[in-house]
Amino acid sequence: MRSPQCQRTVNMAAFRAGLLARALVNGKGQRISNVIFGARAASGVSKDMLPGPYPKNATEWAAAAKKYNLRPEDYQPYPNDGRGFGDYPMLPNKSQQERDPFYQWDHPDLRRNWGEPIHWEFDMFTRNRVDTSPSPVDWATMCKTLLGFIGFMLLMFGLGEVFPSYQPVAPKQYPYNNLYLENGGDPEKEPETVKHYEI
Amino acid sequence: MAEYKEAPLATRPKTLDPAEYYNLSPEYRRAEEERAALRTRLKRQYQLQLNNPHRKELIEDPALTRWTYARISNVYPNFRPTARTSLVGGLFGVAPLFLLYFILKSNRDTKEQKMKDGTYERPFSLSY
Repeated sequence: MRSPQCQRTVNMAAFRAGLLARALVNGKGQRISNVIFGARAASGVSKDMLPGPYPKNATEWAAAAKKYNLRPEDYQPYPNDGRGFGDYPMLPNKSQQERDPFYQWDHPDLRRNWGEPIHWEFDMFTRNRVDTSPSPVDWATMCKTLLGFIGFMLLMFGLGEVFPSYQPVAPKQYPYNNLYLENGGDPEKEPETVKHYEI
Repeated sequence: MAEYKEAPLATRPKTLDPAEYYNLSPEYRRAEEERAALRTRLKRQYQLQLNNPHRKELIEDPALTRWTYARISNVYPNFRPTARTSLVGGLFGVAPLFLLYFILKSNRDTKEQKMKDGTYERPFSLSY
C-alpha cells in the first residue's frame, strides 16, 4: 500500500503529464511557456488540495471534506452568502486556551496537531489573544455590571457638573485701589477709590 | 469520574465528559473511531517526517497553506454582491470618504472664518 506522500507525487506527475498533453492538443489560448514547460512548477501543494468554491453537489462535498481531513458528516462549510469563504469548513468558535493542556500536541504552544484544519479566526483564538474559556459569571451579567457601573459614574459626574458644590469663592481683591500704580496708573492723577467692603 | 468538577475558568476535558461514558450509541462510537483514525493517520505522517534522519527541510503543513490561501487568495473569487455585502461595503468603504470630507471641510472652514474674524481661541497655546 502506497504511503500518502508517494501516492501524491505519483498523482502530481500524472496531473502534470495530462496538463502538458492537453496544452499541446489545444494550443489556442495557451501561453508559449505553458506549452513548452508544462503547466507550472509543481512545488508545494497542488491545486486540488487548495480551498475552492462552495461545494455544489455530494461529490464535491465529500472531496472537500477529504481535502480538509474531516469526516463528511463533520464537514460543514460556511453558508454560501457571497462573503468570500468558499468551501472552507466552519469549525466551532473555541479558543486554543480551551484545549486540553496535558495532551501531547504536535505543536504544544499552539495546542494543535499537524494537519488539523485551522479555524478561520485561528490567529484571533491563540492563547495570547481571545479566550472563550468559561467565565465565573455569564456574559450577560458581566455586560450589565460593567455598563451599569460606567453609566452610574457618568450620571453622577454629569449631575456634579450641573449642580456644583464647593466652598464659596469670590474674585481676588487687591489693595491700593486695585494696585493703581503697579498697573501703570499715572502718579499725578488721583485714582478712583475702590471699596471692597460694605458698611 | 461522574463527580469530577472542572477547574475554575477551564472547560471540562473531552475525555471526562459524561456523554463519553453513558448511553453510547454505536453511531457515536463509530464516529469517534473515525475521527481518531484520521487523527492517528495525520500524527503518523507528521512523526515519520519529524524523525526522518535524512530530512533537511522544514515540514510544511498543508492545513496552514490552505488556511493562508483561503484567507487571502480565495476571498475575492467567492465574493458575490448581495444586500449584506453591498451594505457593509458601502458603510465601511464609501460612506467614510464622504463623511470625513464633509466633517473636516466644515471644521476647517469654521476655524478659518473665526481666525479671519479674530475670535479664534487657540486651545493648547504653550509659549504665547
